[in-house]
Amino acid sequence: MRAWKAVVLINLALVLGAGWGYLFWGIRAARLERELAVARASALSGVEREWRVDGVVRAILPEIGVLVLTHGEIGGYMPPMTMGFRAASPKITESVQPGDAVRFTLRGVPPNVAVTAIEKIP
Amino acid sequence: MYALGLAVRFIHLAGMTLLVGAAVAILLAGRTDRPTALRWESRVLALARALAILTLVAGLAVLAVQTANLEGRASAALDPAALARVLLETQGGHVWLVRQSFLLLLAAFLAVRWDVEHGIDWRAARGEAALLGAAALVLVGASGHAAAVEPETTRALGVDGLHLLAAGVWAGGLPPLLLLLRAAVREEGADARPYAVLAARRFSRLALACVLVLVLSGTLNAATHVATVAGLVGTTYGRLLMVKLALLLPILALAWVNRRRHLPRLGGDGATVGRPAMRRLAGFVGWEAALALLLLAVVAVMSASPPARHEAPDWPFAFRLTTATLQDAPALRTRALVGSQVAILGLVGLLASACLGAWRLALAGGALVVLAAGAGLALPALAVDAYPTTYLRPSVAYQAASIATGGALYQTNCALCHGPTGAGDGPAGRGLPRPPADLRAPHTAQHTAGDLFWWISRGIPRAQMPAFDRRLTAEERWDLVNYLRALSSGHAARGLVAGVPERPWLAAPDFSFAVGPTPARALAEYRGRRIVLVVLYALPGSRPRIDQLAQNYDVLATLGVEVIAVPVGAATDALKALGAEPRILFPVVTDGAADIEATYRLFAEAPHAEFLIDRQGYLRTISKSRGDAVALSPLLAAIQQLNEEKAPPPAPEEHVH
Repeated sequence: MRAWKAVVLINLALVLGAGWGYLFWGIRAARLERELAVARASALSGVEREWRVDGVVRAILPEIGVLVLTHGEIGGYMPPMTMGFRAASPKITESVQPGDAVRFTLRGVPPNVAVTAIEKIP
Repeated sequence: MYALGLAVRFIHLAGMTLLVGAAVAILLAGRTDRPTALRWESRVLALARALAILTLVAGLAVLAVQTANLEGRASAALDPAALARVLLETQGGHVWLVRQSFLLLLAAFLAVRWDVEHGIDWRAARGEAALLGAAALVLVGASGHAAAVEPETTRALGVDGLHLLAAGVWAGGLPPLLLLLRAAVREEGADARPYAVLAARRFSRLALACVLVLVLSGTLNAATHVATVAGLVGTTYGRLLMVKLALLLPILALAWVNRRRHLPRLGGDGATVGRPAMRRLAGFVGWEAALALLLLAVVAVMSASPPARHEAPDWPFAFRLTTATLQDAPALRTRALVGSQVAILGLVGLLASACLGAWRLALAGGALVVLAAGAGLALPALAVDAYPTTYLRPSVAYQAASIATGGALYQTNCALCHGPTGAGDGPAGRGLPRPPADLRAPHTAQHTAGDLFWWISRGIPRAQMPAFDRRLTAEERWDLVNYLRALSSGHAARGLVAGVPERPWLAAPDFSFAVGPTPARALAEYRGRRIVLVVLYALPGSRPRIDQLAQNYDVLATLGVEVIAVPVGAATDALKALGAEPRILFPVVTDGAADIEATYRLFAEAPHAEFLIDRQGYLRTISKSRGDAVALSPLLAAIQQLNEEKAPPPAPEEHVH
C-alpha cells in the first residue's frame, strides 16, 4: 500500500475512534442526566413524604396556624434555613414556645407540607 | 524504588522527546537523494524504531512503579489486579493507556518500511511519525502536575502541552542534527554537506521559535506551580527548577554562539569550505544535546516531586526584602528611593551599552558599578530579619475557635511579660534587658505569621524570651499566632467608625455557629452571597437595639443583609431570654458564642457592638454603643454603599500570612 493512503486511513481511524468514543460517552451522559432529572422529579412530585427534623421555634402565628422554625437540612427538599410551616392542628402551635429546641415531623406532598407532630428536646 | 522510578520516568520522557525530535528533524531536513543523507535518514529511523520500543517498555515500568506508589507496597508493581485498578480507575491510568496506545501505534508505524519513492508518501510517512510522537508527548502533561491544577485545568494542560512539544522539537532534534553534521563533516560525506547546512539553518530558525515558546510557557508553568519566591528557593521543586534554569543558561549560550558564529560560516558548497565551522558546530550541538538530556533528567525528578505551591517553604536566608519597612521610616524611604533611581540609571546604562559599538565594555562596566551601588544603597533599607519558617503557611485557619484558644494560651504563657492586653507591660517584663514587645503595635502586622511562629517556637535569646516548642504543640503555637494577628488588627481597627465603610483591608475572622439543634454553619458560607451584620449583644442593655433590628429585619434582608446575633456570656438559652415579642427571625447563636465573643471583643470593647462584614469577608464598619435604639439610617447607608461597590476586592485568605 502507498504510505500516504495508510496514513490517511490511520488518521481517519483515530478521528473516527475519538469521535465515536466522544459520542458514545456523550449520549450515555445525556441519558443518565435525563434519568436523574426524571428520578428527581418523581421523588419530589406527587408522592407524600415525611421528614423528622431538628430545629428551634422562632415565632408562633396562631391566627394563621403557622410556626416559624429555624431548621436543619430537610433531605431532598430544603437546605437549613428559617421558614414558616403550617401546623396540622392548633394543638401543635399551643404545645411549644418561641426559643424551644424541637424535633418535628413534616409530612405532605411538597410544597404542600405541614408539621404533624412536634416535641421539645432538651 | 524511588531511584528506579526516576530512571524509568526519565527514559520514558526522554524517549518521547527524542522520537518527536527525530521525526521533526527528518521533516525539516527534507527529502534528498544524496547517499550520505539517505544513510543518515535510515540510521535515524533505525534508532527511532529501537527508541520507540524502549519508550514503550519504560512506560510499562512507569505504570508498575506508579502502582506500587499508589498501593503503598512494592509487590503491587507486579500484581495484575492492582495494575488493572490503577489503569481503569485513575485519571493517570486512563492517560497512560492512551499514551501507550499512541506509542504502540508509532512503533508499529515505524516498523513498516514504507515505500517512499513519491514525495507525498515520504511526507505522509515522516509527518505521521511526528504526529504520533507529539500526541504521546503532549499527554505527559495530562498525567502530571498540570492535571491537578484547579480551577483552570484546561489552561494549565494547554500550556504544559505546548511546553512539552517545544521541548520535544528542540531538545529532541539536537541528537539527529548532531548525527547529520558528523556524517557530513567526514571526507566521504561531502555530498551531503549542502543538505546538512540547509537542515542546520532551518533547525536554528525553528529552535529560536521553540525557545520563545519554552520561556513563555515555562514562566506560566512556574507561576502556576511555584508562585512565590519562597516556593522557588525554599522547596525541593523550586530548587530543582533553579537547577533546570542553571542548565538552560549554558545551553542557550551554546545555541547563541552556534547561531551567531558557526551558522554564517557554513556557507559555500565546495569540498572544504565551511568544514571547520561545521566540525565546531557539531561539537557545540553535541554539548547542547548532552546538557538537554541532563535537563530532562531534572524534569523527571521534578515530575516526581510535589509542586512548590503545595509544600511548606523552608526559607534559606537570614533576611528577606519587603517594602513594609518603609511605612514609618522617612529616612529609609529616601534611601530606598535614591538607591532604586541609581540602580535604574545603571540598568539603562547597561541597555545602552548593548546598542553601542565602541566603548561598549567601558560603559557596561561603569553601568554595572552604578547598578551595584544603587542596589547596595536600596536593598539594605528593605531587608528585615527572616527565619526558616518565615513563609510557612499556618496549619490552623484564622478562625474564632483558634483565636479564642490562642487568647487563653496567651494569658497563661505570655501575659506575665507581655502584659494582659499585649501592651508589653507585664510585671515580669520589667527586669529584662530589652522590654517585651508591644504586641498591639502596627509593626506586628509587618511580620509574617511564620516569623511570629519562629519566635514563639524558638524564643528570642537576646531579649531572654523563652522558647515554647517544648511546652506548646505546633497547633497551639499557630493558635497563638492567630490570636496575635487578631489582637494587632483589632487594635488597628479602632479607626473604623459606624456608618462609613473604609477600604477593605481587615479580614473578619471566620467562625462557626449553631442555632439550637441545627447543624453548625460558618460565617464563610455567606461569602459572595450576603452582607453580614454580626451583633454582639448583652441583655438587658441591648434590648432596644435588638428589638429595632428585629422589627427592621425585612428591610435588612431586602438589602441583602443577614443579621447574626451573638449573646455575650455564652447563654445557651439565648432564644428563650429574648422572648416571643417582638419576633426575632435572624440567627441567634446558641452554640459557639463564647469563641466569637472572645475574638470580636478584640475589635470592640463596648457592651454592645455591631460589625458589618461585606460579601468578600472584610470587616468594613464597627459600631460601639450601649445597645440603645439609634437611628437606623447610617447602617442602611453603609449597606447601600457596600451594595453599590463596583469592583469587589478579592476575598481575604483563609490563613493569616
